[in-house]
Formats: sequence, structure tokens, C-alpha cells
Amino acid sequence: MIVAEQKPLSEIKEIIAPYKKILILGCGTCVKTCFAGGEDEVAVLASALRLACKKDGKKIEIEELTIERQCEDEFIRESAPAVSRSEGVLSLACGAGVQALARRFARTPVLPGVNTTFIGVLEKQGVFTEECSGCGNCRLDIFGGICPVTRCAKKLLNGPCGGSQNGKCEINPETDCAWQLIIDRLKALGQMDNLRKYIPPKNWSTSLSGGPRKLVREDHMI
Amino acid sequence: MNKKFIPKITVFHCINAFTENTHSIFVGRNDFEVKFIKLPCSSMVKDIFLLRAFEAGADGVVVLVCPEGQCRYVEGNIRAKKRVAWVKNLLDDIGIDGGRLSLSNIAAGDTAAATQIIDNALKNLAELGQNPAA
Amino acid sequence: MNMNAQSRLQETLSKGEFAVTAECGPPRGANPEVVRKKGELLKGYVDAVNVTDNQTAIVRMSSIAACSHLLQMGLEPVMQMVTRDRNRIALQSDIMGAYSLGIKNILCLSGDHQSFGSQPDALNVFDIDSMNLIRTVQTMRDQGKDMSGFELNGPPRMFIGAAANPFADPFEYRVIRLAKKIDAGADFIQTQCIYNMDRFKEWMKMARDEGLTEKVHILGGVTPLKSAGMAKFMNNKVAGMDVPEPLIKRMAGVPKEKAVEEGINICLETIAELRDIEGVHGVHIMAIEWEEIVGQIVESAGLTPRP
Repeated sequence: MIVAEQKPLSEIKEIIAPYKKILILGCGTCVKTCFAGGEDEVAVLASALRLACKKDGKKIEIEELTIERQCEDEFIRESAPAVSRSEGVLSLACGAGVQALARRFARTPVLPGVNTTFIGVLEKQGVFTEECSGCGNCRLDIFGGICPVTRCAKKLLNGPCGGSQNGKCEINPETDCAWQLIIDRLKALGQMDNLRKYIPPKNWSTSLSGGPRKLVREDHMI
Repeated sequence: MNKKFIPKITVFHCINAFTENTHSIFVGRNDFEVKFIKLPCSSMVKDIFLLRAFEAGADGVVVLVCPEGQCRYVEGNIRAKKRVAWVKNLLDDIGIDGGRLSLSNIAAGDTAAATQIIDNALKNLAELGQNPAA
Repeated sequence: MNMNAQSRLQETLSKGEFAVTAECGPPRGANPEVVRKKGELLKGYVDAVNVTDNQTAIVRMSSIAACSHLLQMGLEPVMQMVTRDRNRIALQSDIMGAYSLGIKNILCLSGDHQSFGSQPDALNVFDIDSMNLIRTVQTMRDQGKDMSGFELNGPPRMFIGAAANPFADPFEYRVIRLAKKIDAGADFIQTQCIYNMDRFKEWMKMARDEGLTEKVHILGGVTPLKSAGMAKFMNNKVAGMDVPEPLIKRMAGVPKEKAVEEGINICLETIAELRDIEGVHGVHIMAIEWEEIVGQIVESAGLTPRP
């Protein structure tokens, strides 16, 4: 899923300062799962902002709504009546959702309420970890299903570096050394030979380095 | 005329920690107003409920949970504790002081402890004053 | 190994002589005098001087420029190059530029992560890794081509170095990685500071068993300890560093004013042991911001005059 984190309340207050009537729009897909922008978070943020504004003696009207997905126009359209009632939309979706809203609603400012952080997994309840960079050229087959591009701080394809100690990464003792994980797993799979091979430089043209990417599926187009 | 501050306290409590028939221990006290919210387990105390209590005008919120290790649903009171800590931070961010919210472990029927907890909350509120967002 | 002897370091190693290299960190500023002063201290005591490339991710005078200052003094530099700050386009360009200035040795590294440095907000590059960099320099040298396969007008004939850390984990993989670096094109290896001699010897034995010492020159890294505090710090705080407890105790066991002397003694003992290990062809002395001690160590070790 796409993992996001709600912005600090102080920053959100600044972002919405010019508006007297806002819609807080949640998204029921990824950001709901990571407790950043689902229905519950919309309610809490709305309540917190009402309290904060009241305390500061500011008048604000807040409408709350959560749609299934903010990255698909089909769902976005459901929010049109609520959007038309507000001066600005505070979106709690990922950056893609914010932009999809902006594309649909030409005259209403769309504001980000979360920081989109990474593509990750729920490692355990309450802990999300980054596992994929969306590089567009997946080689998890040779790395035992553990991505060095994402999970090694130096993106080493021929790692590990000299800073791997006791299975941890030198830049953060909380972080597993991806290369230790790769080696352990390949050993268990009997595929250590993968690591004797020289891995050539990565082709980054399929990643963001090649500019914004587009996927076209002719068979799904009318 | 300087009207005396009569704090409004909302008490969220687990029905196993604080039974309904003990609500009466506060009857007759005129130094605060109290509202009780019964929960089948303290883990039901979602962050939005706590915030809405403040939106509804509470000056303080007290959450009463079972003693640690004695939750009927194993970890409900621990979840409540974590959530209360989270909302306390949020109240600080809002600017109305996380000190208005507290959580206490209490054994069923311990009315002396309940009185003590409320008295502590009142002492605290005497310093913090009225909810500035009420 | 490329037998086209270009650099003096390569010549020394090819002749089977025990080589000595040291390290020179460029200044945090544009003052060339700092480099010259360090060069002066090392002159006559070393075969070549490693010039670090923004080490620990702290912005300093570029390695190429500092190498060039040393060259003008008649010292031979080993240009360190990290893949942290430059993409493959800049790396290849700088390798050619460096060679055109007379720099003939390169040490290919990934580089310390920027979070350790003074500007942790920086974007890192890591377009390619150190292994890829080694292969790139080798291809430029031996095939005269850049990474796109374009024929270069004047290939940079670099003597290619790489780093190895026998003390990092996972231990059993460390020799595989060494073999990969040699296959990628490394001519010489400089190791992390050696304090745990037992582990180093074990690693060397594994390297010999794989026939790696026949294919590459290994220079053992040493850093003289100044105090017990420094020993403890290196053991606990520097990732991939292994200072055994008895050594820390030995440093702590002497009076404070004798600590430096004891550190030098340990360093000399290490060098003496290194000279006896089959497959170790030299020593790399990393006296960080303590260049003045290098001459004394080399002299006491009986390794002068150099080159």
C-alpha cells in the first residue's frame, strides 16, 4: 500500500488559514489502512481543528467526507456536491489523490493534509516499512525477494557495504541490513550463487529518473 | 461579578472497573458537574469520543480502566492507555493542554480511589481553568 | 592484473616490495596550503597517498584538486572516489579528468552515507555501486571504452583499488565480496583498520584458499590509537570497526602520557605481523589528522626510505 502520515496540526492550520469553509476529504483505500486519512482520521482531524479554531477565536466551517478512492475519477465525482460547498478541500489522500482532485475541480484549491511517505507493508500492527521504490525494473528474483534498491540505504546491488554489523544497517540500528536479509534468505534457498555474479549498473530510465511515467493498456481503452 | 468556576468533567469508564451503581458516590457534590459514559471495555474509548467530549464543553476528561493485567478482554486497558496518551499529545497540539485528560486504573468497587481520582482531576483543573475551546 | 606499469604504487607492488600508503584528508576550505603541509609530512615515507573524497560525507576540497596539489609536490596520490555524490556521467568524466592531470591510482568506494555528515538533508546519488565503479574504470582502461561502449580518445590507465572490511558482517560473505571486487577489476585492496588480528588472519586464510591473493595486492589498514577512549569509541561507535577488549585494556593500562607511545607500539606490532602474513603486500596507514606521526611509524617499522 501507499503509506502516508498526517501532517502536524500546526502545519495544517497554516495551510487552511485562508479559508473559512473547508471540506476534509478522506480516502478509503491505502491511507485508511495506515491510519492517516480514512474516515476515522477525518473525524479526529475535523474535531481537533474545530477545537483549535474555537480556542483561537477563529470561525471555521468544516465538512467531513470520505470516498472510496481519491485516485479514481469515478469515485471523486461523488465528492463534487461537497466540494462545491467549500472554499478549499483538505485532502487526506496520498499525493496522487490530491492531484486527481485538483484535476477534477478546476476552481477549488486542493490542499495536502498528509505527507505521502512510501510504498510499504504493515510489518506488524502499528508498524509500516518501506519495501518498494517503484523503480519499474524489478529484480527481486535474484535478491531472494528482498529489495536492495529500496531497503539498502546506499541502493547497493553488489552489497553489503562495510557498515553492516550484527544484521543492522549502520545508518540506523533499528533498521535491518537488507544485504544480511538477502544473504540469509538466499542461503536458506540454496541460491548463494546469485551473489557471486556481478550485477551490472541498474537501468534507471524506467524509474522517476526517466521523467514522469505513464502506463497505457490499449486493451482497456475505448 | 466573578462567578466561581464549576468544572465539567466527563468520565469514560469500563463497566468492569467502575460499576453503574457507584455513580451515586458523587451525588450531592456541587463543586463539579459530571457526565458518565459507560463502555463495555475501556478499549472502546476511541480518540474521536474523547475529542468530542471537549467539543461538547468538558473542561476535563477522566478515563477509568481496570488494573493492568485484569482486563476481561486481555489488553483493552492497555489500548486505552495508549490512545489516551496519543490524544493528550493532540490536545497539546490543539493548545488546550493534554493535562485535561487523564487515565487511571481502578478496581471495581473501590469508591475511595474513584473519589481520589476525581479530586485530583479537580485540583488539576483548578490550575488549568476552563476549557478555552468550550 | 594489468601489467602496464603506470603508477609507482603499481610498480612497487609488481616488484613484490612491501608497499606503504597513507591518508590525507583535504581541508574544509579552498586553502591548498593544508594539503601541501600534509604532503610535506608524508614525503619520503610513503609510496602513495590516499586522498579522501568528502569522507564521512563532510564537504571538503575535492579529491581531484587535492591530488593535483600533491602531484605538483612530487607525491603520488591515490584518488578516492565515492558513488554517493556523482552519477555515472560525472564519475566517468572525473576519472578522465583526473587521469589527464596525472592521477594514476583510484580507490573505488560507495562512500559513507550522508546521514553521518554535516549536511544530512542532501540527496544521495548511488546511481552505481562501488563494484560497478571498479568495473567501469577497468573497462575504460582495458577496452578504452566508456559505459556506453564509446571508444575513448585516450583511455585513463588507472591502477584500480577497492576497499574491504574483514570485520563487518556477514563474515562468511566478506571473502565472496572480495572475489567479486577482484573479478570486477580491482588490482589492489586497502582494508579497514586492523585491530582484531585473529579475525584478519582468518579472512586472509580464506582469501588464500580461494586463490585471491594471487590475483590482487592486499594492503592491511592500520590506525595508531591515541587513547583508550579512542579505542572504545572506535569499537562502539564506528560501524564495521572491531577493537578487541584486550587491546582496549592495554591502552587503558598505561598512564595517560604514555598512551600515544603505546598506541604507536601496537601499530608497529601490527605492521610487523602483517609483513609475515602470506598475501599481504603492504600497509595503509590511516592516521586521521595526525599525519606527522606517519614518518615516525614508517621509520620505526624499518620501511624507509620511500619510495
